[in-house]
Amino acid sequence: MAKEVFMPKLSSTMSIGTLLQWFKEVGDYVEVGEPLFEIMTDKINIEVESYEEGTLLKKYAKVDEDVPVNAVIGYIGEKGEEVPEQPPVYSKEDVEDTGLETMSEKEELKNDQNLLKQGKIRATPAAKRVAAEHNIELSSIQGTGPEGRIQEQDVRDSFDQKRVLSTPLAGKIAMENNLDIGAIAGTGSRGKIVKSDVLTHMNIKESVDTVPEIWKLSGLRKVIAQKMTESVQTIPHVTLTSEVDMSNAVSLRRALLPTIEQQTGYRLSYTEIIMKAVSYALRLHPRLNASLVENEIIMNHDIHIGLAVALDDALIVPSVKQADTKGLAELTKTSKMLGEKARNNQLSPEEMSGSTFTISNLGMYAIDGFTPIINPPETAILGVGRIMDKPVIVNGEVAVRPMMVTSLSFDHRAIDGAPAAAFLTELKSLLEDPYRWLV
Amino acid sequence: MREITYLEAVREAMSQEMRQNEDVFILGEDIGVYGGAFGVTRGMIEEFGPERVRNTPISEAAIAGAAVGSALTGMRPILELQFSDFITIAMDQIVNQAAKIRYMYGGKGKIPMVVRTPSGSGTGAAAQHSQSLEAWLAHIPGLKVIQPSTAYDAKGLLKSAMDDNNPVIFYEHKLLYRTIADVPEELYCIPLGQADVKREGTDVTVVATAVMVHRALEAAEELAKEGISVEVVDPRTLVPLDTETIINSVKKTGRVVVVHEAVKRGGYGGEIASMIAESEAFDYLDAPIKRLGGALSPVPYNPELEKAHAPQVNDIILATKQAMNKA
Repeated sequence: MAKEVFMPKLSSTMSIGTLLQWFKEVGDYVEVGEPLFEIMTDKINIEVESYEEGTLLKKYAKVDEDVPVNAVIGYIGEKGEEVPEQPPVYSKEDVEDTGLETMSEKEELKNDQNLLKQGKIRATPAAKRVAAEHNIELSSIQGTGPEGRIQEQDVRDSFDQKRVLSTPLAGKIAMENNLDIGAIAGTGSRGKIVKSDVLTHMNIKESVDTVPEIWKLSGLRKVIAQKMTESVQTIPHVTLTSEVDMSNAVSLRRALLPTIEQQTGYRLSYTEIIMKAVSYALRLHPRLNASLVENEIIMNHDIHIGLAVALDDALIVPSVKQADTKGLAELTKTSKMLGEKARNNQLSPEEMSGSTFTISNLGMYAIDGFTPIINPPETAILGVGRIMDKPVIVNGEVAVRPMMVTSLSFDHRAIDGAPAAAFLTELKSLLEDPYRWLV
Repeated sequence: MREITYLEAVREAMSQEMRQNEDVFILGEDIGVYGGAFGVTRGMIEEFGPERVRNTPISEAAIAGAAVGSALTGMRPILELQFSDFITIAMDQIVNQAAKIRYMYGGKGKIPMVVRTPSGSGTGAAAQHSQSLEAWLAHIPGLKVIQPSTAYDAKGLLKSAMDDNNPVIFYEHKLLYRTIADVPEELYCIPLGQADVKREGTDVTVVATAVMVHRALEAAEELAKEGISVEVVDPRTLVPLDTETIINSVKKTGRVVVVHEAVKRGGYGGEIASMIAESEAFDYLDAPIKRLGGALSPVPYNPELEKAHAPQVNDIILATKQAMNKA
């Protein structure tokens, strides 16, 4: 019967391995101990040897594919044996019971538990004697000897540090919760740490945990990380900022809000007004709507506006197609529906791709300007700050106006500063005088 | 002071004692004109005559038996066994007679005899002529066991052995015969059961016997260059053992390596290590007690393997560093 080839679990933190290469082709004969494939874990690259002898019948995992540990990535067996077209899916328990690594890890866990159960502190007789003479808790000392054994010198070194007095109960609670008892302030006699001190400390500690939580980049977070890095590393970004008087845009929104809400059920927001102005400006400045792909500037005819939507620990950019052809009501409806879908993880690939220009609105925060990162292969991205009443000079008089900073990052490979500045100036004037759209 | 070899020191102690005590005589194989297997008694038959330097048949049992008998009559025999490996043949006389009689007869009879015998490897003498069996004898109540490591110690300890009214096993390490030391011309006693601190140090105690004393001193010299201060303690006599000197040294350093040439399993190092663990020095130990001994095989004839069988300077350096947690 054909034997499965598993993605091995090579360390306790390994959950996914990236297949780097197969050393064998389907149909090749494999011997036990022969390198079969190479993987990259979160720590190392390693060649994995075959546990089985036979013919490699199937390879499910492709090069550069991320595969969860203990997943079946291939089959080895007799030539001509039937194996499934798709890799079998095992319940977690089945997976746990396969593979040597898993077994040894179980043992490891058992050993760890035994150690914990014993709770004995490894210390040399000399270390114990000196600790006892100086009334020091051995549990408060970090051993430097073999297997963490506390040596006499470790105890002596701890003299220099704060002397820790604690009740046995406090010490026990601290140890069970992995707390450094030396870091706890004692309130008992002579500064002795008592049970309540440890409990108080634990409450504070919950908010400021000294041990950082670590998780591996995966899924969307990983994609974002790769995309952002790629963007800033390959694109020479220049960011222009301009402050826009939003008085008329505010009036416009106020005027259309009830109408659009009645018509679509959605409330018109500045995002849509800005989107409308942007797509209008893009028609006039098509170079900002271009895509730079491998030394070719593609002048996109359609204007699809990408809208950056923040999720829990992720960022997704659905695109509003043909934004320049849509009225504010339709833009509102489309934007809001895309936003909802994004938050519910229901976007289709179609809805997530194809944007030619992106708007990132942080106006709901106390942000004025920022330096947005371009969403390749687009040429530019507009960062939108908050609208804030500010004193400005109008006709030689100080007036209070709702002001908003726009930040335009552009790809200096695709376009130069002057045309980009012209675009942003256009946008500013369109937002300050929205009636121009009607022309 | 005058320098002589270990071998000359042994001979001088015997000769000087025989000059002043008519009851002392020596017996053994080829110890007469030939001067014994290693030449220790060379020239003695000329001075003391064949009656006091007695050649014997090749029978260790007979030599030991004759010694026990003559000691019971009031003589003070010194018997030489050519190689200490052959003590196995004399074992019944030594273990069941010499060691027991004084006890069994309530002190009415005593056995003042010295068994001198060369031990140890390193001379290419192979498995049957290279052993270190001192632990066998140290196990028997009623016997005293001595392992001098220098010419000075050899003369003083042999004098004490000859003065003792009990059977004493006096081990002479073959590799030490040619070593030289300052030795007083007159007779002197080094009391049995008095260890000697051969080198003072503060970090690790190395308890070494016989030829290992010299290797330990060499190791200590090397380790000093790395800032590790080694104290070398030579017990000199296994029975009686000077526990106090060893314990005090371990209390000072907190770490101890016990090294002897005898096979590690069942070797006297186990006794020393246990003694330390049972003593007040336990609370001062800052590392596990480490033992070095011969490999668990007969001593090989091949010179390289023979060297590998017994602890060498580098082994002592490594063990000391391990005790220091610096290996």
